[in-house]
Amino acid sequence: MGGVEDDEPASKRMKLSSEELRLLSNGSAIKEPLAGSSGGLMAWPLHSQGGKEVVGSKGLIKKVEFVRIITKALYSLGYIKSGAHLEEESGITLHSSLVNVFMRQILEGSWDESIVTLHDIGLTDERTIKSASFLILEQKFFELLDEEKVMDALNTLRTEIAPLCINNSRVRELSSSIVSPSQCFSVWSLKQDTLRARSRTKLLEELQKLLPPTVMIPERRLEHLVEQALVLQRGACLFHNSMDKEMSLYADHQCGRDQIPSQTLQILQSHADEVWFLQFSHNGKYLASSSNDRSAIIWEVDANGLSLKHKLSGHQKPISSVSWSPDDHQLLTCGVEEVLRCWDVSSGECLHVYEKAGLGMVSCGWSPDGKWIFSGVNDKSICMWELDGKELECWKGQCTLKISDLEITSDGRQIISICRETAILLHDREAKVERLIEEDRTITSFSLSRDNRFLLVNLLNQEIHLWNIEGDLKLVSKYKGHKRTRFIIRSCFGGLEQAFIASGSEDSLVYIWHRGTGELIKALPGHSGSVNCVSWNPANPHMLASASDDRTIRIWGLNNLSAKLKDSHSNGIHYCNGRT
Amino acid sequence: MDVDPRQYEHIAINDNDIHNIIMSYLVHNCFKETLESFIACTGMKQPSDYLEDMDKRKRIFQFALEGNALKSIELTEQLATNLLEKNKDLHFDLLSLHFVELVCSRKCAAALEFAQTKLTPFGKEQKYVEKLEDFMALLAFDEPEKSPMFHLLSLEYRQHVAENLNRAILAYANHPSYTAMERLIQQTTVVRQCLNQEHTKDGPPPFSLKDFLKS
Repeated sequence: MGGVEDDEPASKRMKLSSEELRLLSNGSAIKEPLAGSSGGLMAWPLHSQGGKEVVGSKGLIKKVEFVRIITKALYSLGYIKSGAHLEEESGITLHSSLVNVFMRQILEGSWDESIVTLHDIGLTDERTIKSASFLILEQKFFELLDEEKVMDALNTLRTEIAPLCINNSRVRELSSSIVSPSQCFSVWSLKQDTLRARSRTKLLEELQKLLPPTVMIPERRLEHLVEQALVLQRGACLFHNSMDKEMSLYADHQCGRDQIPSQTLQILQSHADEVWFLQFSHNGKYLASSSNDRSAIIWEVDANGLSLKHKLSGHQKPISSVSWSPDDHQLLTCGVEEVLRCWDVSSGECLHVYEKAGLGMVSCGWSPDGKWIFSGVNDKSICMWELDGKELECWKGQCTLKISDLEITSDGRQIISICRETAILLHDREAKVERLIEEDRTITSFSLSRDNRFLLVNLLNQEIHLWNIEGDLKLVSKYKGHKRTRFIIRSCFGGLEQAFIASGSEDSLVYIWHRGTGELIKALPGHSGSVNCVSWNPANPHMLASASDDRTIRIWGLNNLSAKLKDSHSNGIHYCNGRT
Repeated sequence: MDVDPRQYEHIAINDNDIHNIIMSYLVHNCFKETLESFIACTGMKQPSDYLEDMDKRKRIFQFALEGNALKSIELTEQLATNLLEKNKDLHFDLLSLHFVELVCSRKCAAALEFAQTKLTPFGKEQKYVEKLEDFMALLAFDEPEKSPMFHLLSLEYRQHVAENLNRAILAYANHPSYTAMERLIQQTTVVRQCLNQEHTKDGPPPFSLKDFLKS
């Protein structure tokens, strides 16, 4: 069928082109060559038909620009022939002929001619022309020096470079480099690289950056645009909770909801009464839970799930909270208005009891270096202890309430506690400055983000507020939907880069929101009593634990089915008890 | 001290002191004939070894002021050996004067060579590097008077270097490198500043040299 096209009458060809013109003006991209023309698209001078052609469904992309950056990408990838062919076929040249001449002159080292061409290209900005000339003449200068034509180089400096009257400090450096080209002053050896000739291709790159992009397309422009799109997609991915996913150009990136833990994997039933508090260790290898049954339990996390490691008994009162030492080797437990106990995690032994005569502890926390312990006391003060029990400092006054959390920022400076019904105190130990987060409703609990920049505050009116505590205190987001009427319900940050908020609720569901948008993603059923506390494994974004009045702890993870469908690269946790 | 610093008019002065002050000024600035005449008029004792050296010092100073640094250096070496070796800052400044001469007379190749052989060795020490860069920058300009470093070509700069040289030579010969007159004027200025700061308007005003010279 080879000879057919040659015999085709001119009119038929014209029809083809008008067909394609129509397609173009409808805004749809050219997909395949139209049937009947095996020679592909015809080339006609697009410039003459106006650079107003657009491609893409939104009509945002100018065709000329699109083709030019593709051509540039082809050349950068090394496909010279394809690049040249595209230029020919589309009739859209990558660079104007003057620019091509300019580029050739640079690479050949015809400096004076290149400057003439530069002026001919027709740039409007005087400064750009001067800066570009400066770069070119600098190259000429250095190449002359390399050839040991010192007087010629000096001449270039005096008669061509200096009169440009820009960048005087560079002119200074250049004259100094004439004086001692090879044996530089010892102190100047640092400047060596800027004081010798660079390769001509590098010079061309520098010039490309200087000249406006319409004249010379910047390097790697197409790659930059694509990467921009990928980054945006990742940012917009609501359920982005998995590092495994590689981004592909074939489809928009979107993690499915299957990346959020939503299935009960395990039910832990070792407590004899309501489970009030739980928290994963910093390394995610352990979970500690505390209960109304006056005991705390350390669970070990491994490939098969969680198993009971130690049951810590000794408190005479129910344990309201626990706190992991920064190195996860010790655990503090706090009895309700009672004492603090410090336990060794590996042996389960009680290492120390911290008490104050006639008073009871209400909260506990560690200094970031693990050397000191902080505790809230029911006389509204906060105390600081050495590990051996010696009391170091005590902040009196209205520092904390009988029911309050206690957090210390990881720089050891700020102590955070609920000091009044509607206010949280941020006390800076070093600067001796106090800040207050004030709310309209009663605050019941709070949680500090891992980067210490945000505080999640639970309120009586069933709202969770996210505050920015870096710099000025600012309310950032609100999360609603869960139920809280009578008890303390706790919430936490979690997931990849703490992009999610999880909370317990009195309707026995576990609630999960997307932190950035505030959208409620999941409400997980399973418990048969109020869910008091949740904790997201810091080392495993797919594991969530919840503690409930139904005396159980539930471990939530990814949906079994999708886990199996995934490639063999699993997170190391085999799923058992996949049913709710 | 119960003497009010403003009450200066009744202080007694020794004539000899005044003569010495004037002599020290004349010697420092090499006014030989004036000095001889002054000695003859006042009957002061003639300072011993000053006179002969004064001639030499005068010539050294003149050459430096004109910009003929090489001649100046040659004579200095004769008069005070090792002086320049021990006084590297001064040596550098003098050599740079010669460099400036070459640049001003547009002898670029010679200037370049001179810089490479004589000036760059100083570059091994950090404190000379910036000065060197300043001077080298002059090479880049066709009209150095219009360059940012034009002050290096000025008479003031040469005067500054020449004076430093003069002081160094005097110090080398164990003579005072500052005249009594200079010190007196400096002292008066400071005293006047101090008195002005006291804010008291009553009492006689402090002595003002400026006003005296105008009157």
